[in-house]
Amino acid sequence: MANARRWWGRHGHLVVFLLPALLIYGAFMAYPLVSSLSYSLYEWDGFIRRGFAGLDNFVTVLTRWPFNERFWGALRHNALFFALTFVIQTTLGLYLAVLLARRWRGSAFFQATYFLPHTLSLVVVGFLWRMMLNPTWGAVAQGLRRVGLEEWVQPWLGQSGTALVTIILVNAWAWLGFPILVFLAAIQAIPKEFDEAALVDGANGWQRFRFVSFPLLLPSLAMVSILTFIWDFNAFELVFVMQGASGAPSYATDLLATFFYRTSFGDPTTGGEPGQTGLGAAIGVLMLVIIGIVSAFGVRFTQRSQTEY
Amino acid sequence: MRQPGERRRGLAGLLGLALLVLVALLFLYPVLLMVLTAFKSTPEIFRSPFGLPESWALDGFADVWRRASFGRYLRNSLLITGSSAALLLLTAAPAAYALARYSFRLRAGLFLFFLAGIMVPIRLGILPLYLLMRDLGLLDTPFSLILTYTASGMPMSVFLLSVFFRHLPRELEDAARIDGCSELQTFWRIMLPLVRPGLATVVIVNVVPWWNDFFFPLLFLQSDTWKTIPLGMQIFFGQHLIDWSLVFSGMLLASLPLLIIYLLMSRQFIAGLTAGAVKG
Amino acid sequence: MNRTIRLLATTLALSLLTAALAQTTLEFWSWRTEDVEAYEKFIAAFEADNTDIQVNFTPYLNTEYNTIVATALQGGGGPDIVHLRAYGGIEALAEAGLILRLDDKVPALADFAPGILLGATNRADGGVYGVPFALQTVQVLYNVDMFEELGLSEPTTWDEFLAVGDALKESGVYALANGALEPWTLETLFGGVGPAFYGGDEYLEAVTGGEADFTDPRFAAALEHMVALQPYLAENYMGVGYTDMQSLFAFEQAGMLIGGSYELGTLAQLNPELTVGSFAVPGEAPGDAAISYYVDGSYGINATSPNQEAALRFIAFLATQEYGQMFTDELQQISAVPGVQPSSEALADMVALMDEAGTPYLMLTAFRYGQPSGSTLLQNEMQAVMGGDQSVADAVANIQRGVSEWYDFE
Repeated sequence: MANARRWWGRHGHLVVFLLPALLIYGAFMAYPLVSSLSYSLYEWDGFIRRGFAGLDNFVTVLTRWPFNERFWGALRHNALFFALTFVIQTTLGLYLAVLLARRWRGSAFFQATYFLPHTLSLVVVGFLWRMMLNPTWGAVAQGLRRVGLEEWVQPWLGQSGTALVTIILVNAWAWLGFPILVFLAAIQAIPKEFDEAALVDGANGWQRFRFVSFPLLLPSLAMVSILTFIWDFNAFELVFVMQGASGAPSYATDLLATFFYRTSFGDPTTGGEPGQTGLGAAIGVLMLVIIGIVSAFGVRFTQRSQTEY
Repeated sequence: MRQPGERRRGLAGLLGLALLVLVALLFLYPVLLMVLTAFKSTPEIFRSPFGLPESWALDGFADVWRRASFGRYLRNSLLITGSSAALLLLTAAPAAYALARYSFRLRAGLFLFFLAGIMVPIRLGILPLYLLMRDLGLLDTPFSLILTYTASGMPMSVFLLSVFFRHLPRELEDAARIDGCSELQTFWRIMLPLVRPGLATVVIVNVVPWWNDFFFPLLFLQSDTWKTIPLGMQIFFGQHLIDWSLVFSGMLLASLPLLIIYLLMSRQFIAGLTAGAVKG
Repeated sequence: MNRTIRLLATTLALSLLTAALAQTTLEFWSWRTEDVEAYEKFIAAFEADNTDIQVNFTPYLNTEYNTIVATALQGGGGPDIVHLRAYGGIEALAEAGLILRLDDKVPALADFAPGILLGATNRADGGVYGVPFALQTVQVLYNVDMFEELGLSEPTTWDEFLAVGDALKESGVYALANGALEPWTLETLFGGVGPAFYGGDEYLEAVTGGEADFTDPRFAAALEHMVALQPYLAENYMGVGYTDMQSLFAFEQAGMLIGGSYELGTLAQLNPELTVGSFAVPGEAPGDAAISYYVDGSYGINATSPNQEAALRFIAFLATQEYGQMFTDELQQISAVPGVQPSSEALADMVALMDEAGTPYLMLTAFRYGQPSGSTLLQNEMQAVMGGDQSVADAVANIQRGVSEWYDFE
């Protein structure tokens, strides 16, 4: 009894801190997901679970046509999605944050504007941009025509060569506000003395950024990048609204999440195709493994590079 | 006398401002387009997609308000989103604090456990989740949504807040303990207020997807009493016929509450986010 | 004593009366969000004759409907009356015992045409699990006024069809409003153009009977003729989506649209002035013309519903000619119920076409039983072809290979 009380005295606060979160998360997220992931180990006949199938579903997804072609294609697309988003936010996003940190008169206005698309539903974003990208009467096409760049007008969303990049750009439009603000906060957290000391030492703008600001920004960069990675590898709603779950045109916009959804529940845009529960769950497990491994590395890196001052 | 660096900054400054303005326009234009389109009738939308609307009459909005039961759904959306945000903060903050400031055996494992939740598509778990809600008798109640949203927001929030908590200096904690504060008091009175920007970030990042979510309300809610705004909007998306005029009016109305809250609070949110990060 | 008896008698009478008036409420789910008002009228007509039953019609977003219904039914919840998709869409539900078998419970089903009942049949046990509700046809819709102005008449051969297209283009509009942004619209294009070239019923029987498959030259011929229409489609047709197609035709920027009979309602709403005519896509020779038709779905009953008796009464109502007539008149669609007369001329034309030259919509009716379905394969492969990324030969090979994964052609 005394031991228990001593344990509680020493660790009780941990329990109080962690238990509520663990309970809610455990019951309403972890348990359903684990439960569903376990479906991947069985053979399914529509909604009826037949026998234990071991790793059969995984073998099918990874090696049997057409599933394997779709899987590796989707993985490539997700990787491109993240890579391009990462480049945009660490170049344009970071640069805009640096500019904003210089305290322009209308700074608050810019900050509010950049975050504005974040407040819109992805359904709204998808619709708006689909409308604007329409090659016949969309804003982008009309704008190009008006400045005499008619040849540049293409059905961007309808061509396998341009569709995915277009969606990534639209996603960046909706998403960029968040990294910009986080970077801005991080830049403003850098004590002025460091920068001034470098200036006194004769460093120019770029050198000051590269050697003083940038290293101190690394933790924020890393955190935002990890979040971007996780979100991009799970991206679903924007693509679903703009292109449906079939990865149109001809699988060029197929992502892991749309591939998962289509396999599990049947392609909704087709209207009436049976789903394959076991295969869908196997895709889910594979997504977890891929994202998990990469994120674990990312988190390690973040924790190592954090500077406390 | 002007230093060479200063002149360069002048030109670079102008270019910088130009870029800021350009990007701002890019971000604003589609929203402006949505507002204009919301006032047009369907044939007008196709005829003159970029012109000013013929009439600024509000009947379309009144129609949407009525047909999508907006009044009731607005109340429900506010209630559900607000409660979820509150519950999330109350549970995620202490958990993040524990994971960030203490070292104990299960720490890394728990951390990964939380993080794993965002690595899987959430629609994967809908059947067990539905069955769970059914067994708990929570189907068709707002609690099904509140608990689901809180749970789904947990991983990212715990991660984000743990980063913020990590940055706080150990001296504060030690000083508090010397002063006789219990762990709970230290957390609640001293450490938590210092991560206000983190809390603000968690709220903003989660509230938007919750407000706009249509899938879980679709799954859990049946009777009209608890439906949320996105569900109300569905009525305009037919299988073969989309009532574009009403869709845009509806989208504008549905986005308005968040837009207003955001515009009112953006100053605070951004100020909190940036000021709090500046070392004091 | 007397007073007590009178009190008891009154109480008894009142409770009997209340019991008689006690309402059963049926939940009816569907994906037809645009038909809410129409269904409320139909329900009102039913409730007038059946005062003890109340029906609540709740439509769900079309793209999410299947997922929501499947989850709810599996979870033992869901509606009493379920709007079911056709053909492959119901088998999983029927096999898992989630929906009620109806052929022994709804006598009116015996009068439905057997081909139509196929849309609501579970092939495994041959049982009918739903009351079919509508038929759709796929053909060429054309702008009657525009044709008159240009002196054009309905073509009877493929060459004449192309000539009509040329004339329209010369007059400054697009010949066909069709686009290729949304894959399923390509299946519609196939449904209109295909039958005249792959040979309608004959080919369907061969493919499902084990005598042919998709490598048959007839099938490739159908796909080739789709590609031949590229010059007649809207500019940048790879970016023309479904709503664009509807608007192009409705607002008279295109003279023809290869689409479904379900377009009539939408077109009327977009442009009430438009007069729509229809004809089947002609083949090489006169008389080859054919159109695709299919059952759009059926009304079924949740097997775990506590209100089965009331649900059966409502379902029986949905199988009556009275309902079928209301359905056609109100929604401008072809009712699956036998003996119903189409209301508008345009619709009557389509029914006539269907009787004359109709053949089941190949992929939708026969190849949606597995994954990836014939429909998904056709749509995606043809999208690659129309976009110039793939040859018809490769498309055919992929379709054949994909379907063979779950379908035995023997």
